[in-house]
Amino acid sequence: MIRYLASRLAGMVIVMLIVATLVFIITRLAPGDPAAVMLGEQATAADIAKLRGTYGLDQPLPVQFAYWLSELAHGNLGQSIFLQRPVTQALAERAEPTFFLTVFALGIAMLIGIPSGIVAAVWRGKAVDHAFSAFAMLGASIPSFWFGLVLMEIFAVGLGWFPVAGYGDPGVPLSNRLYHLILPSIVLGVVNSALILRFTRASMLDVLGEDHIRTARAKGMSEARVVLHHALRNALIPVITVVGLTFALLIGGAIVTETVFGLPGVGNLVVSAVLRRDYPVIQGALLVIAGLYVLINLSIDLMYLVIDPRVKY
Amino acid sequence: MLRLIANTRTNICFRGITRAMLAAAAVAITLMAAPIVQAVPQKGGVANIAMIGEPQTLDPMSSTADLVGTIMQHVYELLYTYDANSNVVPMLAEALPTVSKDGLVYTIALRHGVKFHNDKEMTSEDVVASLERWMQMAPRGKAVAKEVKSVEAKGPYTIVITLNRPYAPLVAHLALSNGFAAIMAKDSIANPLTQFVGTGPYMFKERKPDQYVQLVRFEGYSARKEPASGYGGKREALLDELRFIPVPNANTRVEGMLAGQYQFADVLPVEAYSRLENAPNVKPVLTSPFGFPYMVLNTKQGPLVNVTLRQSVEAGLNNADMMAAAFGDKKFYDTDPNHYAKNTPFYSTAGTENYGKGDAKKAAALAATAKYDGTPIRILTSQQYDFHYRIALVMAENLKAAGYKVDMQVVDWSTLIQRRNDPALWDIYITHSAVLPEPTLTPPQLGDGAPGWWSSPGKDAALAAFNAEANPKKRAALWGDVQRVVFTEVPYIRIGDFNNLTARSTKLDGYVAMPWPFFWNTGLSK
Repeated sequence: MIRYLASRLAGMVIVMLIVATLVFIITRLAPGDPAAVMLGEQATAADIAKLRGTYGLDQPLPVQFAYWLSELAHGNLGQSIFLQRPVTQALAERAEPTFFLTVFALGIAMLIGIPSGIVAAVWRGKAVDHAFSAFAMLGASIPSFWFGLVLMEIFAVGLGWFPVAGYGDPGVPLSNRLYHLILPSIVLGVVNSALILRFTRASMLDVLGEDHIRTARAKGMSEARVVLHHALRNALIPVITVVGLTFALLIGGAIVTETVFGLPGVGNLVVSAVLRRDYPVIQGALLVIAGLYVLINLSIDLMYLVIDPRVKY
Repeated sequence: MLRLIANTRTNICFRGITRAMLAAAAVAITLMAAPIVQAVPQKGGVANIAMIGEPQTLDPMSSTADLVGTIMQHVYELLYTYDANSNVVPMLAEALPTVSKDGLVYTIALRHGVKFHNDKEMTSEDVVASLERWMQMAPRGKAVAKEVKSVEAKGPYTIVITLNRPYAPLVAHLALSNGFAAIMAKDSIANPLTQFVGTGPYMFKERKPDQYVQLVRFEGYSARKEPASGYGGKREALLDELRFIPVPNANTRVEGMLAGQYQFADVLPVEAYSRLENAPNVKPVLTSPFGFPYMVLNTKQGPLVNVTLRQSVEAGLNNADMMAAAFGDKKFYDTDPNHYAKNTPFYSTAGTENYGKGDAKKAAALAATAKYDGTPIRILTSQQYDFHYRIALVMAENLKAAGYKVDMQVVDWSTLIQRRNDPALWDIYITHSAVLPEPTLTPPQLGDGAPGWWSSPGKDAALAAFNAEANPKKRAALWGDVQRVVFTEVPYIRIGDFNNLTARSTKLDGYVAMPWPFFWNTGLSK
């Protein structure tokens, strides 16, 4: 187990180095210039060149890369060109809405996806199965920005139950800020529940066809106990995998929803940074997101140990 | 920079292009859904103002972004500003400057007793330090700095600006609240700015990126006595607090207005006009004219170095079709060929006979005269601004009809503003600008070194005469000469004017529509 963990952690370091290199190369291969964006229409070529010098963008790319890596080694993700603050600080400021949005959305997705998947599998081929399958198709197909605007129109503009956008007024308590996350969480939850539903259904169908389930039923065990105790536990491994991956995707991928609902999250930060070519923010954010992704994957693998005693590392 | 069209991707603000300020010379005409009959504004309350994005800086000098100027004009003031008729009027200056007979020395008396937000009185030392910083670091200030020999204090309440040569646009530059010559407390000046200490009716309180910029009333504000007019005259902070909230998605700004979450929303999609008009709690506000799309032609490298070929392009383009494609309803655009509207100081019809009406035959004939060899015309455009792209599509068809080969290069805005600095990479690019009250303020192609690299004896002669003339009436006539050169040499093509749609809550009283929205003299009814 310890050897396994050590090898995974060593692998993580290598993965992060590869990610750092790729992120740097891809970011710099894209055309565009943060200095030109920042200075605007009236700026002269000399102004732009001067600002590029200020941020070290006039240095050869290998020099910039080496400098960035050396700063990374000291835990410094760099300084945002536009925000005039450290990238770590910018990310920390946006972590709260993104974290809670992800947790709420995932909770909603699981609440919808897992029970629906179980029901669809148990009543395979029946009307309820077709209904849930149709829901899953719909959920997977709905553009989140459109769904967000529809919910906004009904529940915020029409009924006035929720705020349209934003993350609360200055100085409001956490509960008020979280209230602003309800509609976007529903959007993300519904959209992401489709995948969980499909995986749960497929996994449950596999398990329900196995010999030990037939044996349990032959012994006269109640159907509820067969499904929830014997089948579900065995079906959970792929479901947990997809839940974990969804969590990782949401951490960095709630971009559209954050933009539509005006949430000051990590996704919004990355989009703004890409459009402005704020290289340190793009690099830092992508690196952190990739790191979280790797960590979540590791956590999922470790959770297998708890769920399925047959798994050994 | 502004963004006009409903385009969910566009709303991050790239700032470089200024937004339309002062309506063309005269009037930021406010076309409202209802007449401007408002209750008397009351004191107190908070206004949530939905802006198109997060300002990239709060330093009013370092960026020509509309967002920055719009927000920080509440915190910082200028020596001069513009009234509702686009006349320059004093703000922190006591009066208009005294100009020496040779046009080289401007003496500016300052108002007494004006307090900064740190409670210190404004003196000539603060003003000189501010103007020096502006000329050193601001894109607009640097352009002015070439004309300035010195800026000196003459006692505590007077400054003297000495020029190298007569430069009539000086006061217009000092009055423009975009990339502006903000007067700052001398002891707050730093690079970058860490304190925002001005004299405006509102003080900076807090900025949370992507959440809000919070301004609060400055109780020690020293208002002018004259009646309010445009940006000029008496200013009073009626609202306790202003919150400028970045809402990048245009549809979200609309929904937020309809739901009552915002008291004002900037730059809304024209498609939302009828919804806003029919909502009981919202008034749509059109600012006209607001800006103008234009295309820059590469006069340095490539086929369009040939002026006859540029004239051919000009003749072949159908500007009316381009504006219709870009903005839809005529309520949102205008296709007057003159660069400044009638009844404005710089109105002129000089050269307007060349305004493009889509004459493919004439364009083809001129192309033949210029011995066009079939080299593709590279059009550089972006979908960041949807109307740019739609204009480009029509332009491409117009050029093909005239026998041109066209190479459309659609890139994102960041890429465009990088590539346009390299003359080897493009022949035409599309952008837009403000309608500003002083012609030399925009577009930058009227200056030196801007992409397009227009340089000619005709340009130099026309602009030299225009810039040297201080008499406003004579300047108006001289602008006609500049306009004629633009239509003849075709360094850029001004396609038309467009309007800006914003919206205010019906409870927001006293709001006066100007291209850069401001919220002094504005209150909330109970």
